[in-house]
Amino acid sequence: MTMAGHGRTSLRRVRIYGVLIALLGIMMFPFYAMFSSTFKPESEIFSAPATLVPSDPSVGAYLDVWTQTDVVLWVANSFVISLGTVVLTLLLAIPAAYSCARNDFVGKRTFLLAVLVVQMFAPVVLIVGLFDVITQFGLFNTYLAVIIPAAAFTLPFNIWMLYGYFKTVPVALEESARIDGASQLQVLTKIVLPLTKPALVASITYTFLYAWNRLLFVLTFLTDSGKYNIPRGVFSMVGALQTDWRMMLTVSVIGIIPLLILFAFLEQYIVAGMTAGAVKE
Amino acid sequence: MSLAEEYSTTDGESRLSQSVTHLKRNRRAYLLIAPAAVFLLAVVGYPILETFRLSLYRSPADSTIETFVGLQHYAEIVNSDIFYRLLWQTGRWVLAGVAGKTLLGLLIAVHLKGDIKGRKFFRTAFLIPWGIPYAISAVVFRWIEHPQFGYLNAVLLKLGVIEQGIGILGNPDIAWLGVVVADIWIGTPFMAIIFLAGLQSIPQDLYEAAAIDGAERWHQFRYITLPQLKSVILMATLLSTIWTFVSFDVIWTMTGGGPISTTATLVIHIYQVGLQNGNLGLGAAYSVIGFLFLLLFAIVYLRVYTRGGDEL
Repeated sequence: MTMAGHGRTSLRRVRIYGVLIALLGIMMFPFYAMFSSTFKPESEIFSAPATLVPSDPSVGAYLDVWTQTDVVLWVANSFVISLGTVVLTLLLAIPAAYSCARNDFVGKRTFLLAVLVVQMFAPVVLIVGLFDVITQFGLFNTYLAVIIPAAAFTLPFNIWMLYGYFKTVPVALEESARIDGASQLQVLTKIVLPLTKPALVASITYTFLYAWNRLLFVLTFLTDSGKYNIPRGVFSMVGALQTDWRMMLTVSVIGIIPLLILFAFLEQYIVAGMTAGAVKE
Repeated sequence: MSLAEEYSTTDGESRLSQSVTHLKRNRRAYLLIAPAAVFLLAVVGYPILETFRLSLYRSPADSTIETFVGLQHYAEIVNSDIFYRLLWQTGRWVLAGVAGKTLLGLLIAVHLKGDIKGRKFFRTAFLIPWGIPYAISAVVFRWIEHPQFGYLNAVLLKLGVIEQGIGILGNPDIAWLGVVVADIWIGTPFMAIIFLAGLQSIPQDLYEAAAIDGAERWHQFRYITLPQLKSVILMATLLSTIWTFVSFDVIWTMTGGGPISTTATLVIHIYQVGLQNGNLGLGAAYSVIGFLFLLLFAIVYLRVYTRGGDEL
């Protein structure tokens, strides 16, 4: 490569990194606004115009938040709802996906297409009908009132994800295990599931995030504040006249920390799950 | 599919017995999909029917008595001014949102595509806004756009763009823009990740050939990247259209549809009428109209997805 050519490529690289860092700055700005505000004392939060850097940083908000809000309860409820949704979804999705991957039966195509349509069917346009059904079944104000709809709307992704992976496990592998005397369930848990770990992790992460992040079901089906999750808790802190921004933003930070940990470790699985439907090989 | 063809060649009676044999042979297969199928029928299918039924009845919040009113709710909707205002507000919300997410996502993806040091770090960082609770993103944007104490005003004042603080979310003319910005921020990461995956599947030798021909960067983008990325862009914008159309948490947390209903979309109105005001019948009728839009999007999506007779 000539000197001039080399100079041009490195100039190009500088430009690319420059644009990337600028874009990152824009995308991270809301996080900066959230984090930096939580380190301001009350008087500085309510000063106009806002200081972009806390003039007298303190961790006071992180000491007050445990006693002044129900953040511990909300995080605990978020875990109950998210884990409950993950378990219910997997119990339904694994057998269905496995059945479709291993058998050719009349109605399979219809079933898989119907599942895809559910994926496109948003809960909010169904909320009036769901409300009627949830109250009919006496589920109002129970965790199940949130877990059941969340499982229904994460089921399509799970079935398709697992179906795609189950198909790649060679049938011969299962047959030889069967000959060695393994039961059908053992074949599934000991051979098939370990081989489809990436799909399982992607499914679990997707379902967990879905249940952790959504406000709609909790807003509609849980009026008991003892069962609020993080989004509902944050929402309840928005006051008509006055809002305790310092506490609300601190709760928000605490509410996303488990997710940041999840992202740091499972980023590649999340990306694999996101791109599964839209980018075809 | 081959099974169906098999049936069509036989007469009625043996077709029945063949179906029974088929059911018996695949008993286990049907038993395994049954729980998921029944669950979806009960939790999604039944409420859909219930929505249609409710839309034909008047069922006030303060009583359990339902009165059959036929299509009266639908007539009420298409004769009301609010419906057309909602269509307009939903339209601009979806158009601005999807356009913003697509352009910003494309910009990020194009710059992340090459041989970038720390790409994993960038990709993870860009992903975060997509994966946190919408309600939290919404309150953070409310805080940024706060008329007195907000960071946006502070930045704009510092840059000399404005002379005194502006209140965005309280202003009926621009409140929707204040909300759509938050929605774009949340929806951009998905687009960026999808476009990045699409870009990485474009054969590198196409660019090498173009570079030999001395094609400008912009021309490479225009004549190689865009055509190669066409189907990915189509799929992603379609999905994004659906998700932006049904976006609820962000609007509800930032403005609740106000001021004077200027940030309300069709789905916000469904919630206000059906659940907040407890008018289940009218809310259900609005929901059915929402179904129609989703059905339209779903048909287009399925056509694109199964195009060329792809195997399921």
